[in-house]
Amino acid sequence: MELETKPVDVAELRKNLDGKAGRAYWRGLEDLAATPEFEAWMSDEFPNRSSLMNIDRRKLLKFMGASMMLAGLSGCRAPFWPNHKMVPYVNTPEEMNSGKPLQFATGMQWQGMMVPIVVESHQGRPTRVEGNDLDPTGKGASLPFMHAELLNLYDPDRKREVRRKGQIATWDDFSAESTEALKTIRTAGGKGFAIVVPPTNSPTTNRVLDEIQAAMPEARIVAWEPMNRDNTYQGTRAALGAPSEAIYDLTQADVIVSLDADYLYSGPGALRQARDWAARRDADTSHGANMSRVYALEVTPTVSGAVADHKVPVSTTQLEGFARALAASLGVAVDGGEAPGALAKWVEVIAADIRSKGTRAVVIPGEFASANIHALAAAINAALQSSAVRYTATAVRQAGGGTVRFAELISAMNAGQVQYLLMLGVDPVFSSPDFAAAFAKVPFTVSQGPYFQGGAKKALWSLPDSHGMETWNDGYSAEGHAVIAQPLIAPLHDSKSHLETLMIVGRGARGNALEEIKNTWRASGSFGEGFERAWRLALNNGIVPLTAPAVTPAGGALTLAATAPITGTEVVLRPDPTIFDGRFANNGWMQELPKPLSTLTWDNVIYVSPKMAEAQSVKSGDVISVKVGEREVRGPAWVFPGQPENTVTVHYGYGNDGDGMMARGTGFNANALYSPATQFAGMSATVSKPGGTVSLAATQLHNTMEGRDLVRVLTVGEAGHDDHGKEEGHHKEGHESGLTVDGKPWPLGHHDEQSMYHPEKEFANDLPQWGMSIDLNLCMGCHACVTACVAENNIAVVGKEQVIKQREMHWIRIDRYYGPKDTRTAFGQKVDLDNPSTTFMPVACMHCEQAPCEPVCPVAATIHSAEGLNQMVYNRCVGTRYCSNNCPYKVRRFNFLNYNDRKFTEYPEYKDLRIRLLVNNPNVTVRGRGVMEKCTYCVQRINDARQHAKIEFSKGRREVPEPKDGEVVTACQKACPTGAIVFGNIADAKSRVSQEKAKPRMYSLLKELNTRNRTTYLHAVRNPNPDLENA
Amino acid sequence: MAQLFKPSANSVARMSIMATGLAVVLIFGLGMTLSRGSLNTRVGLAPDQPVPFSHQHHATELGIDCRYCHTTVEKSAAAGMPGTETCMSCHSQIWTNSPLLDPVRQSQVQNRPLRWVKLNKVPEFVYFNHAVHVNKGVSCNTCHGPVQTMQMAYKARSLFMSWCLECHQQPEKYMFDGTEGLSPREQVFDLYKKYQLDPSLAGSSPVEQKLARGDEQRVPKDLEARGVELMRLRGLKKAQMTDCYTCHR
Repeated sequence: MELETKPVDVAELRKNLDGKAGRAYWRGLEDLAATPEFEAWMSDEFPNRSSLMNIDRRKLLKFMGASMMLAGLSGCRAPFWPNHKMVPYVNTPEEMNSGKPLQFATGMQWQGMMVPIVVESHQGRPTRVEGNDLDPTGKGASLPFMHAELLNLYDPDRKREVRRKGQIATWDDFSAESTEALKTIRTAGGKGFAIVVPPTNSPTTNRVLDEIQAAMPEARIVAWEPMNRDNTYQGTRAALGAPSEAIYDLTQADVIVSLDADYLYSGPGALRQARDWAARRDADTSHGANMSRVYALEVTPTVSGAVADHKVPVSTTQLEGFARALAASLGVAVDGGEAPGALAKWVEVIAADIRSKGTRAVVIPGEFASANIHALAAAINAALQSSAVRYTATAVRQAGGGTVRFAELISAMNAGQVQYLLMLGVDPVFSSPDFAAAFAKVPFTVSQGPYFQGGAKKALWSLPDSHGMETWNDGYSAEGHAVIAQPLIAPLHDSKSHLETLMIVGRGARGNALEEIKNTWRASGSFGEGFERAWRLALNNGIVPLTAPAVTPAGGALTLAATAPITGTEVVLRPDPTIFDGRFANNGWMQELPKPLSTLTWDNVIYVSPKMAEAQSVKSGDVISVKVGEREVRGPAWVFPGQPENTVTVHYGYGNDGDGMMARGTGFNANALYSPATQFAGMSATVSKPGGTVSLAATQLHNTMEGRDLVRVLTVGEAGHDDHGKEEGHHKEGHESGLTVDGKPWPLGHHDEQSMYHPEKEFANDLPQWGMSIDLNLCMGCHACVTACVAENNIAVVGKEQVIKQREMHWIRIDRYYGPKDTRTAFGQKVDLDNPSTTFMPVACMHCEQAPCEPVCPVAATIHSAEGLNQMVYNRCVGTRYCSNNCPYKVRRFNFLNYNDRKFTEYPEYKDLRIRLLVNNPNVTVRGRGVMEKCTYCVQRINDARQHAKIEFSKGRREVPEPKDGEVVTACQKACPTGAIVFGNIADAKSRVSQEKAKPRMYSLLKELNTRNRTTYLHAVRNPNPDLENA
Repeated sequence: MAQLFKPSANSVARMSIMATGLAVVLIFGLGMTLSRGSLNTRVGLAPDQPVPFSHQHHATELGIDCRYCHTTVEKSAAAGMPGTETCMSCHSQIWTNSPLLDPVRQSQVQNRPLRWVKLNKVPEFVYFNHAVHVNKGVSCNTCHGPVQTMQMAYKARSLFMSWCLECHQQPEKYMFDGTEGLSPREQVFDLYKKYQLDPSLAGSSPVEQKLARGDEQRVPKDLEARGVELMRLRGLKKAQMTDCYTCHR
């Protein structure tokens, strides 16, 4: 029998909680409600078992007997093995060593910009994406979408051939027919010709587009994508006179006010913003006096809001009211108006805090906040002369005007004025219902994109799109540095890049993308003297530092557009946190990645606040209908603590009509709510409950450690925040269990006198002792570590049904805890359902020195290494799962099915998925069915560094035959944008990880078990404004 | 009623009990023998290759260094297989009409790689690294047998885990000095230079002579103390060498 959890009824929960203190930290509403069914579900001994357990005894004995008999055969190899072949090159390329990967710097197109990335390539096969260390923006860190981009390259569902009316054709056919179709259009100056491209700052693509525009002045070129940044550019144009990029330097910010901004996770500058934010969250130096303070006003909860010191859920109307009032009180000439209701106090306090910091304060508007918010933020920052932001001219095509042109194109199409429509890399037929309605009126349509869906199915010509790693491209990074994107692999299919297609269409002949790009940069002169050498250096480094021209504020009064008032419930449209505008819809890594904050996988939902859920008696998973005028979307609700009371958020990107194996049957199509006129603005909506439920795969309650005191958050100045062990309290080392031995608290510390582990005897050998420290104060829950780990360690995607059975395979998970707003009165405080504080905790294998999993393994498949790693030997594992049951941290993952090599009987057309295997890291074993797995501390990287050190030692190039501090960087550590994860040798007191662990904030999970974890945590610290005590 | 079992049935019963026991032992023994025999391990078998390449001729008679073809053996996990162009760097000049070299020429002309049969393969969950072994002075012959004498390459060792562990558990019993003053890596290849000059390796250490014959290289008891010293000098640590994660991950 399988136990189930039932969605919680909020009204009932509130009634039960009324007048009671409740749990201090909780992971979900079910957890908080603690119904008997939930308790039974959680205390189930085998939570992820299957109905297969119901197999009868006779069958079980039969299977066991057969397995016993066949077990011995696995030892015999050769008679059953085919002759393996060694296939060397004919002409071995330079530097191409078998067994050693090469790294190439390249770029990834994202929201109109180039993100500098470094791709690892094994014998010409890209296997891994990481940040570029030379990039001053990201400094080698990365975000989930960067890792996942790689999987798109090997997607078996990618469009493989040119099609005309669904029939396979060739590029030559297309070229000929396109030239013919353009003949009359050309003579008419391009009248009737339209191109839709994603906004880009690529100088070469823009040059070719300009060339087409010059040849055909009447042609409509529209730079648009559904999740565009037009509001940013329109707002900065209103405030500064020119569409601009805001480049933040948050190390200079003592006070950060976020206006619906997810500045740590989304947007082109997120990596740098996260790193700088982290630099100012130093809770250790002078008792955290130097910590920045963050106020977040949010229309929809984001990870950046979750780690803010103050989080205020607001509607879009309230947000604008707040921004106007704040601007007025800070001396911006604007019609301030009255801050709505309860926000007046916030305006007062925040304005006072900002004034006290002078230029060291900054206001950050969200990418999807309205143009007015952007204008107000830019005006405030200009008025403050904020040292934490500078504005530079943008190179993005049609910045701030793309959406307007897109709307004009739709009306021109409706009027029958468009004869030739080229859609490059965007699919407005899917993304915009208005466009789709007008689409049939265009006679000659061309859709280039990665998948055969949406526009590609309806267009006359469907062209396959090259992946970013298959083509040459160029552009500017978020900070205006030049980035050259070089191909890692020849196109896997018969595809071309946007640039190549533009040349075919515009010039009627194929062009050489590399030469075009080189010509652009040679002519620009920005590479300096000696172009060829500079070009080679640019390819090597992936980035050429440039300075974008600054934009100086024009000054004068700010004129803001009028905002339509909201009546009834407000709905806002946002890109999905993982699959974004739908480009990752067929990407298993992104689909299965728990969405930051909601922890949902494989589905989009409609966020509703607990209060609205109560009023409408909606539970998580109930289908609700959101109607804006005539347009309606229906999807499952998700009761989300922290969602503004009267606002629902709908996530965009799911529900395409393609046949993608991963995308099929996931989520609901919310595109009906998109229109170029409203975009992401709040819209008046009516919400109703038509009935029906959807089963959702959220991981928030999986692998719980049963509510023990795990996550720790303190406040600056609170006793114990930086002097653990001196004061009595809830959070002190060694006091959790309340046990005493000989009058001293149990368990003992690492170096306590009574401990049998004496410091000098602790590490009996001269080997490095690996350990990790995770700073919860810096973890913002972005899940970059999770995707980095998935990519590095060949972790399988299991699918929605398996996730519901708690069988997700992620080696590292991010536990998200809701808690009290004020940690000082946490215990005994009333539970805040509507706006709880949020804390993230990454949990992977703790590599316990006294590991409970080890003694229970009957075949010694998990044993300890001399360097302190808890080793998992796959080839010994027989799958008893005793280790997993005995693990207090619930970090072991079991291959219930052959996830890595499944026979997709449900998808008969996928006979050949071998292309998908190319993504695997050859240095990590691909695990099969019946094998337990877990975090290895990236042992392949440790081995690599150790082998390197040993070789260097025997060549006399180093003193010690072991890796130096910083030479072993785990995948999660490398990816982490805030540097929350530190790994290294804890036997070396000078190593960074030892220094982290020496901080007073250090604590060990479930220390009373005395498992002596190698992974320890630094607790989170909040820096709330004392003037807002319990506000 | 007549007796169902005659007295002789006792003997039959005893015999069959013994026979069952014997059969178990025999089947077990047969399994062990078969699995360790070359039917399973393929030790000593030289499969047909696209080109009958002779290591004996190239390495010993012509004196070509191992690293001329196996270029990455000192720097990478894989020793590296030579591309066709490596063969053709000489064979575009000599033996240009040899029918035996036809596949090589075809490969060059048609730009189609040669497909050699792999002799030494460890299972997928084993991560062997050539570079670190060579740099610690482990001779090619330790694992590959007397390569310098092979007309057709054959597999010389079972590559069973127990065989790997013989050295990984007691490296001091396998470490030795070849030639004074040479780094461990240089010693590996020095063996072949010496062999080329004098295949009897007269005057060389007995371990080197054993290696050249393809015998186990275990050092005599009195040299084990030197082996311990060499381990220290070469930065080898036993505890690391026996951790599972050193080879399996």
